[in-house]
Amino acid sequence: MLSFILIQNRQGKTRLAKWYSAYNDDEKIKLKGEVHRLVAPRDQKHQSNFVEFRGSSKIVYRRYAGLFFCACVDANDNELAYLEAIHFFVEVLDQFFGNVCELDLVFNFYKVYAILDEVFLAGEIQETSKQVVLTRLEHLDKLD
Amino acid sequence: MASAASAMFSRGIGNSSSKENSMRGLVSFIADLRNARARELEEKRINKELANIRNKFKQGNLTGYDKKKYVCKLLYIYILGWNVDFGHLEAVNLISANKYSEKQIGYLAVTLFLHESHELLHLVVNSIRKDLADHNELNNCLALHAIANVGSKEMGEALCADVHRLLISPTSKPFVKKKAALTMLRLYRKVPSIVQPEWNERIIAIMDDPDMGVALSVTSLVMALAQDDPETYKGAYTKAAVRLRKIVVDHEYMGDYVYYKVPCPWLQVKLLRLMQYFSPSEDSHVRQLMRDSLQAVLDNAMEMPKNVQQNNAQNAVLFEAINLIIHLDTEHDLMVQISSKLGKFIGSRETNVRYLGLEAMTHLAVRAETLDPIKKHQDIIIASLRDRDITVRRQGLDLLYSMCDNTNSEKIVHELLKYLQTADYAIREEMVLKIAILTEKYATDVKWYVDISMRLIAMAGDHVSDEVWQRIIQIVTNNDELQIYAAQMTLKYCQQEHCHETLVKIGSYILGEFGHLIADSKGCSPIEQFMALQGKFNSCSPNTRAMILSAFVKFVNLFPEIKSQLLQAFKTYSHSLDSELQQRACEYLTMATMPTDDLLRTVLDEMPPFPERASALISRLDKKQNAIGDKRTWSVTGKDGLPGLDRSATLKQNFSGSGPAATATINGAIANGAAAATNGRNGTYTNGGAVKSPTEELAGLDLSTGSSMPNLASALHLSPDWEQGYNRLLLAPSGILYEDPQVQVGLRSEYRADVGCLILYFTNKSTAPIQSFTTTLDNRAGEQLKTDVKSIPDTTVHPGSQSQQMIMFEARGVFSLPPTIRISYIAGSLQALTLQLPVLLNKYMESATLSSDDFFKRWKQIGGAPREAQRIFQGHDVSYDHTRRVLEGLKWGVLDGVDPNPRNFVSATVLHTGAGKFGCLLRLEPNAENKMYRLTIRATDDAVPPILMKAMEERLTQPWPQ
Repeated sequence: MLSFILIQNRQGKTRLAKWYSAYNDDEKIKLKGEVHRLVAPRDQKHQSNFVEFRGSSKIVYRRYAGLFFCACVDANDNELAYLEAIHFFVEVLDQFFGNVCELDLVFNFYKVYAILDEVFLAGEIQETSKQVVLTRLEHLDKLD
Repeated sequence: MASAASAMFSRGIGNSSSKENSMRGLVSFIADLRNARARELEEKRINKELANIRNKFKQGNLTGYDKKKYVCKLLYIYILGWNVDFGHLEAVNLISANKYSEKQIGYLAVTLFLHESHELLHLVVNSIRKDLADHNELNNCLALHAIANVGSKEMGEALCADVHRLLISPTSKPFVKKKAALTMLRLYRKVPSIVQPEWNERIIAIMDDPDMGVALSVTSLVMALAQDDPETYKGAYTKAAVRLRKIVVDHEYMGDYVYYKVPCPWLQVKLLRLMQYFSPSEDSHVRQLMRDSLQAVLDNAMEMPKNVQQNNAQNAVLFEAINLIIHLDTEHDLMVQISSKLGKFIGSRETNVRYLGLEAMTHLAVRAETLDPIKKHQDIIIASLRDRDITVRRQGLDLLYSMCDNTNSEKIVHELLKYLQTADYAIREEMVLKIAILTEKYATDVKWYVDISMRLIAMAGDHVSDEVWQRIIQIVTNNDELQIYAAQMTLKYCQQEHCHETLVKIGSYILGEFGHLIADSKGCSPIEQFMALQGKFNSCSPNTRAMILSAFVKFVNLFPEIKSQLLQAFKTYSHSLDSELQQRACEYLTMATMPTDDLLRTVLDEMPPFPERASALISRLDKKQNAIGDKRTWSVTGKDGLPGLDRSATLKQNFSGSGPAATATINGAIANGAAAATNGRNGTYTNGGAVKSPTEELAGLDLSTGSSMPNLASALHLSPDWEQGYNRLLLAPSGILYEDPQVQVGLRSEYRADVGCLILYFTNKSTAPIQSFTTTLDNRAGEQLKTDVKSIPDTTVHPGSQSQQMIMFEARGVFSLPPTIRISYIAGSLQALTLQLPVLLNKYMESATLSSDDFFKRWKQIGGAPREAQRIFQGHDVSYDHTRRVLEGLKWGVLDGVDPNPRNFVSATVLHTGAGKFGCLLRLEPNAENKMYRLTIRATDDAVPPILMKAMEERLTQPWPQ
């Protein structure tokens, strides 16, 4: 199960934070910092996309240009399934916004949350058909 | 890796391609904040905006659009990390808006502003309930999102019924169903009792949903439920096997769900994982389904795709399949294939694959019976300790730990010690634990154990947890032949100029207990032992100092020749500022200067061996690793609920008989030991040892496997109309077992010797397809009747068409209770029936032809009770024809002209079971006047006559079934 998803840039600025486990505000701030410090210095070429995190979890992450997409999952979860779920989500963003960039996430933050709720829910992967998600999102986007 | 993944987000920070329907005020506000170069400027702009919004809210009279815009601004401010202490109510009120876009922002505000114990949350429960009941599915979805994000216990209790309704309602759209399934999962995780056990069948049935998104979501829910209660959700096992086979073998899936040429990898992964939560199926058909799917997954992985996504998706499935194969443990062919695959993976150039290969191999090492296929790769695995990625290094460590046995322990421990010097700080403590466990487990000689343990502590003292050094003391105390060498070695370490404090602790204890054993050796005289410890005193922490003092008081007892030095030491420390040390020194001084040394001798007698219990080291390792929700988990300590494979020839076997020892009770014994001693030694270390007998252990176990759900396939839940068809088929090999307006269940059977083959035909009589058609067999006869499901009916049965199922029943012995079957399907709602199958002991009988002489000869041979049963009872219809028909229906072939009285019936049969053939004889004497029968059955085994008697009597007292 996902505990949280974070999208952070290289400077550690969090562009999106979605929490699936209950954390208070202080913990959230701490987690953001910890994840950034753990992931950002890692070598892209020679290191895996997984890092152990706080013993019973791990961070599955992928870097897209200047942005780190990080998912915190249980230590026993299938790493690659979550790694590709991240990519699936990024592809949905890319198609929805049309060649997505970091600023899309800033200006349309409320839409990104809505997109997230179509792909992941309650810490689980919900929908894995790009067609299904995009058709739905376009429909919702047109509604007043 | 990611670099090759795609060009997404490569426009740098980019220009937002904002669409026409975004809120302009919001856009310019965000732009302002982005232009604020300093934090003070940002704060200024935010305060200005907050004042503005506060003002607008106060004035009221805002349009829906304005409200939405202002709430969005507040949300943005909040996301940036600023405190927003007003506007929550306005935000929450938006969820009652009529317009979707406003409602959506309202719900977003609920999930962002409110946490699950927020006081405003119960204000929104009613709005959420309204939206759950709405006919507009979009509103249902928003409401479900809210519960899935912030659902609390109270919310769960209030809304769970609505969520359940949306999950199972035949009118729910796929979007609603999948969200309802995951919302239910959220609530279940908060309050497990919310999901009622009797929902199991209906929930499992949704795994057959043609929509793969729904199937995926509900599988996630079932996974959580099945982990906690596999018995109630065991139906999910077959469902998963069938669905997986459809995807990977029959290629039945919607095109939308193919991800880079891999059909719905996420669903495949979940199905493969779900099956690992159950003990492997014994059903040959299900096993074959799984074997086919697993083989197909392995075959698909033969080529390595160039595309990163495809490669990852394929491997996600492959590694889960490997885990399932390891879990099944009996699929030899598949095992051989994965061993060679894993060998390649751990040498891969791709770091992800290397890591996953090591991880899967660790699982294999924990579970497999032989380590040989893994040992072949020992050098590569050792090299992984020097990988550039800590993730890989850690996994390499786990694997080396798991693959260690008597043959390679020295090499592995040696490598681990070598690596320990340069290992990451983050994993040193765990490494020390593991090295300590391996050293103890596989020690083959005394010196090796002591040498390695001391070196370990000398090298990594700061990372040595208390359990480790305490355990060494326990082992030495409990093994006589270790003591001399251990005492020599600790003394040697303590005499060095630099010696880790932990070694001083061990030294204090060991020398205090066993110093006298080496006192005659060169360099080990009492005074030298004393000097060694004394020399370390000042550089140690109070805890260690206390232990040194305790060693000294033991020396008083052991070495009277140095008593004056010892007393001097006590005198010095009785002025210590540390109250604990002061007290010890004073007490020891008093004890040592008493007129007689009786008390001293008693108190300071040699410590008894520590009681045998599980190693505290392993518990500690478990604690470090097992804070995880997933129950399938095998852990490197091998605790996966299955009989552990213990490859060690522990110290108990290797050393003397006193056995491997005790837990951290020594903790108390050492830290407070001496003080406790002065208080009369009230047994800090006697509370272990109480080894429970197996029955005591069992007494605490709930053998009902904790299942809260009754078994609906059992005879207790037979459907009202089950009996007529059953009775008919007791007397005939084929016919209709059950019929109602929706379905017809036909049956054909054939029995040969001790094996019966039943084919069930299910016909859909309605005009709509029935979905998720599921059967579950319940066998009450246990070992006596072996069942084997050869095929399962199709999931969907179209109108007017038929699906069939073949089941084999093998009579292994004499059984009395027929099996039952649960048939469930979805036709709008869930329909289910439970029927009894006409599989009776009689079915395994074959009539024999005997002459009159032979018959009565055998009749006499068998004799009376206990191998005879006799009953006199009222018959329904004692006419010749009816009686003969019933007898023949129950496979008692009538022997004509054998009984002197032509009105009597006699019959001889052979009953075939796996436990042997039994001869059965029957004599039935009808009395037409009183409509009575006298029935006598004799058989070559006591168990048989009562069962055959019961079946016969039941039939003869009833009319012929129509």
